[in-house]
Amino acid sequence: MNQAQLLQSVLVSLPEIVVITGACVLLILSLFVRPERGYILDLAAIAVVLVAAALTWALADQNLLVYSGMFASDRYSAFFKAIFYISTVLTLLLSRRYVEIERVQRGEYNVLLLFALSGMMIMASANDLLSIYVGLELMALCTYVLTGLLRREVRSNEAALKYVILGAVSTGVFLYGVSLIYGLTGTTELDALATAVTASQRDPGLLLAVVFIVAGLVFKVGAVPFHMWVPDVYEGAPTPITAFMSVGPKAAGFAVILRVVLNPLLAATDVWIVVAVIAVFTMALGSFVALVQDNIKRLLAYSSIAHSGFVLLGIVAGGPDGAASVMLYLLIYTFMNIGIFAAVIAMRSEVGRGEAIDDFSGLSRSHPALALSMLLFLFALAGIPPTAGFFAKFYVLVALIEGGHVTISVIAVLLSVVAAYFYIRIVMVIYMRDPAGKFELAFTPGLKLALAIAVVGTIVIGLLPAWFLNLAQMSVLGG
Amino acid sequence: MGFPLLSLIIFLPTAGVVAVLFMRDAKTIKWTALAVTLVDFVLCLLLLLGFDTSTHEMQFAEERNWIPALGIKYAVAVDGISILFVFLTALLGWICVLASWNAIETMVKAFMVSLLAMQTLMLGVFSALDLFLFYVFWEAMLVPMYAIIGIWGGERRVYAAFKFFLYTLAGSVLFLIGIIVLYFQGGRTFDILALMNADLAFVTQAWLFFAFLIAFAVKVPMVPVHTWLPDAHVEAPTAGSIILAGVLLKMGTYGFLRFSLPMLPEASVYFSTFMLILSAIAIVYGGLLALAQDDLKKLVAYSSISHMGFVTLGIFALNSRGVTGGILQMLNHGITTGALFLFVGLMYERTHSRSIADYGGLMKVAPFCSIFLGLFTLSSMALPGLNSFVGELLILSGAFAANPLLAGISILGAVLAAAYLLSMFRRVALGSARVEEQYDFWDLDRRELASILPLAVLVIWIGLYPKPFLSIIQTSADHLLTQVHDKEGAE
Repeated sequence: MNQAQLLQSVLVSLPEIVVITGACVLLILSLFVRPERGYILDLAAIAVVLVAAALTWALADQNLLVYSGMFASDRYSAFFKAIFYISTVLTLLLSRRYVEIERVQRGEYNVLLLFALSGMMIMASANDLLSIYVGLELMALCTYVLTGLLRREVRSNEAALKYVILGAVSTGVFLYGVSLIYGLTGTTELDALATAVTASQRDPGLLLAVVFIVAGLVFKVGAVPFHMWVPDVYEGAPTPITAFMSVGPKAAGFAVILRVVLNPLLAATDVWIVVAVIAVFTMALGSFVALVQDNIKRLLAYSSIAHSGFVLLGIVAGGPDGAASVMLYLLIYTFMNIGIFAAVIAMRSEVGRGEAIDDFSGLSRSHPALALSMLLFLFALAGIPPTAGFFAKFYVLVALIEGGHVTISVIAVLLSVVAAYFYIRIVMVIYMRDPAGKFELAFTPGLKLALAIAVVGTIVIGLLPAWFLNLAQMSVLGG
Repeated sequence: MGFPLLSLIIFLPTAGVVAVLFMRDAKTIKWTALAVTLVDFVLCLLLLLGFDTSTHEMQFAEERNWIPALGIKYAVAVDGISILFVFLTALLGWICVLASWNAIETMVKAFMVSLLAMQTLMLGVFSALDLFLFYVFWEAMLVPMYAIIGIWGGERRVYAAFKFFLYTLAGSVLFLIGIIVLYFQGGRTFDILALMNADLAFVTQAWLFFAFLIAFAVKVPMVPVHTWLPDAHVEAPTAGSIILAGVLLKMGTYGFLRFSLPMLPEASVYFSTFMLILSAIAIVYGGLLALAQDDLKKLVAYSSISHMGFVTLGIFALNSRGVTGGILQMLNHGITTGALFLFVGLMYERTHSRSIADYGGLMKVAPFCSIFLGLFTLSSMALPGLNSFVGELLILSGAFAANPLLAGISILGAVLAAAYLLSMFRRVALGSARVEEQYDFWDLDRRELASILPLAVLVIWIGLYPKPFLSIIQTSADHLLTQVHDKEGAE
């Protein structure tokens, strides 16, 4: 790599550099900011993300492969980075009051979030199994720590421990797959890899390696059979972190899966059958188990598993429409899922409140505005029009049927009826039960802003999806 | 493209929703809702006045690109099939507001928001000319209806609301798959008119017919997917029952007319006997169930199943009289059953009982109330000179041409209707005055009279002089039948 190439590489990866440098500066800054002025740290973190977003915007139309082909900068990665930025900013807006109530160190909190963000960004841009691994680990290590931030709470500790151990196993599996690939083909670059796999389709070693890699990635999106960590981690982690994990890292996982699996060469093989089976089982498990939950964080964990299954269907569909449907789904999911978590966080005016579904009884009488926005998010998650959640599902189904998978799509919609049941059950608790008692909401300006952004996102994409659809279709790899 | 009258009618209630959201006082909210629905109704009358009955073409058409990448448009228009239901929806809209005036005491704002949102969505369903748009309206309706049943309903409201929601959702998701399949088979378009000309293989048509059938049969409802209806009707507040019976049930049969028949003609002809059998079962079975009820609301609910069976019987007779009669009967059923639910509601407001056994001798206590109740009861059992007679006569004569045996069985339904309705009326209105002793039962007040009179006028008008209504329907119905039979003949 000569001087000019190096310079170009640095330029193209400026957003990542900004985020990492910003995180380091923030770490130092947090030592000098007094606790009561903690909002400065939030604002600084948001500013860092916004600068990175601006840089990404400026770089979006470049289609470059830098760092010796390990790092790609294209519209595809820019689209995913936009999802990461939105989820990070919304998480930062959500966290303030929660962090105070739970007495978490704010400096570390924001810094870890930014590092996790940079890890996700690297994952979206990675074009080599090794750079994927670097991003994956950077993100994973930060989320492990964030999960365990509630030091005094046993559930949080347990969740973090579980997450670390299972996460380490999955990373190990992933790495083993990578080493097999390298041993068999002599490369870790995705394009070369796809050529090798397509050339020798039935090589059992290669097949094993691909299975290992897919298993490692599927762990991150919480799909069956690697979903066991999701409910415990989602329940134990600080709620804003749960919100973050359910959208950001999950989208990052899908970014990698899409890049690996939807590589035009690899797509010619029969990988889709494996993905289809995983997708259907994931949806079924998430939908059915969520039916019996009475803790809202656990319920949303299973709901997020079910949604992962639905997104995987977009990958099954394949082709540009399939990829675009995955991307659009993840964008929409970011708004509606962070929205519902924002409402859960708003309920947490004291330690322990707002986790049992019964805490929401009669919310429509005591806090009608919050109840109405929850109604919106729940129906969006259930996929009822005219919310964005409907269009997300609709487009995945269009892609699926275009690919000729009518049976799978029938199974998918029937399972989404099952899922609708537990969403409208929460609506029932909110609207059709009497209030359990008076309580205050933990509203902050940031939380209100996050809620408003989520509401607007869910409604606007639902009513006017054309622009977002075009954006997703333009950002598809090779599109 | 002229003045967007139809869009105005559809979205005026939405504007009402936004306005009501910013109001606090329950009284202001009620008056606003009433004003909005009344203006909407007047606009609808303008629509009817401007309607040209000599053509089957779509009128008041509007079209805008919505999601061009998938060929989805915002396209609305009305023809002779749909305009009467736009009218019916707008009419029942303000009647529902009046019916809820005193009956709804808690969360008035949320109720009026749901009611107005419902109105936009129902009007949208009947005027959409784009399948995607249609589905959005169709499915979004679940949300406010779920709220209306579940929040302001009776004792078992939550159960009824869940049942309604899940039944309808399960039905319509398969319809969604059908829509998408149709999109690809019909040349990547959601345009309803274009899809009517799509030439589909018979196997595809048959599959789609069943996907659509499930969605529409749940809404109609046809036996055996009717079990949500009695629960939903009984638990829903009066306005909810009126909307359900008056408009929602019509959407199923409207779906057959708008989609199944013209888009899947061969399958429709092929399965018509099957559909006639289902209709005859619904007619007789619904009638028998109604005969056994003591609960007034349940009785009317089961009678709906029977009466909607007549509608599907007419439609799948697939001849001019049957289809025309079916469409007219949809309107009739909306008016008559809407009125009957209105009566059940206002009687319940006075006595807090829906059990027929608790009533008796209403004629002595409240003569006006009883006379109107009698009028609608007679209308419901299709007495000559009243609206349903015209509809049922057309339907039965159409059905006899198509399948004499099933038509003969269906006549049983008419006999049953006379039995359960007359017996109901006798036990409620005639005999010794039991109501007087127990309750303070006052006669109709002006608000109630205002909501009942237009329905009574329509009942008599359609009964005596149905020509204006039939002429609206006729051209479009005949065109529909040429669409069905031409394709079949061409094969």
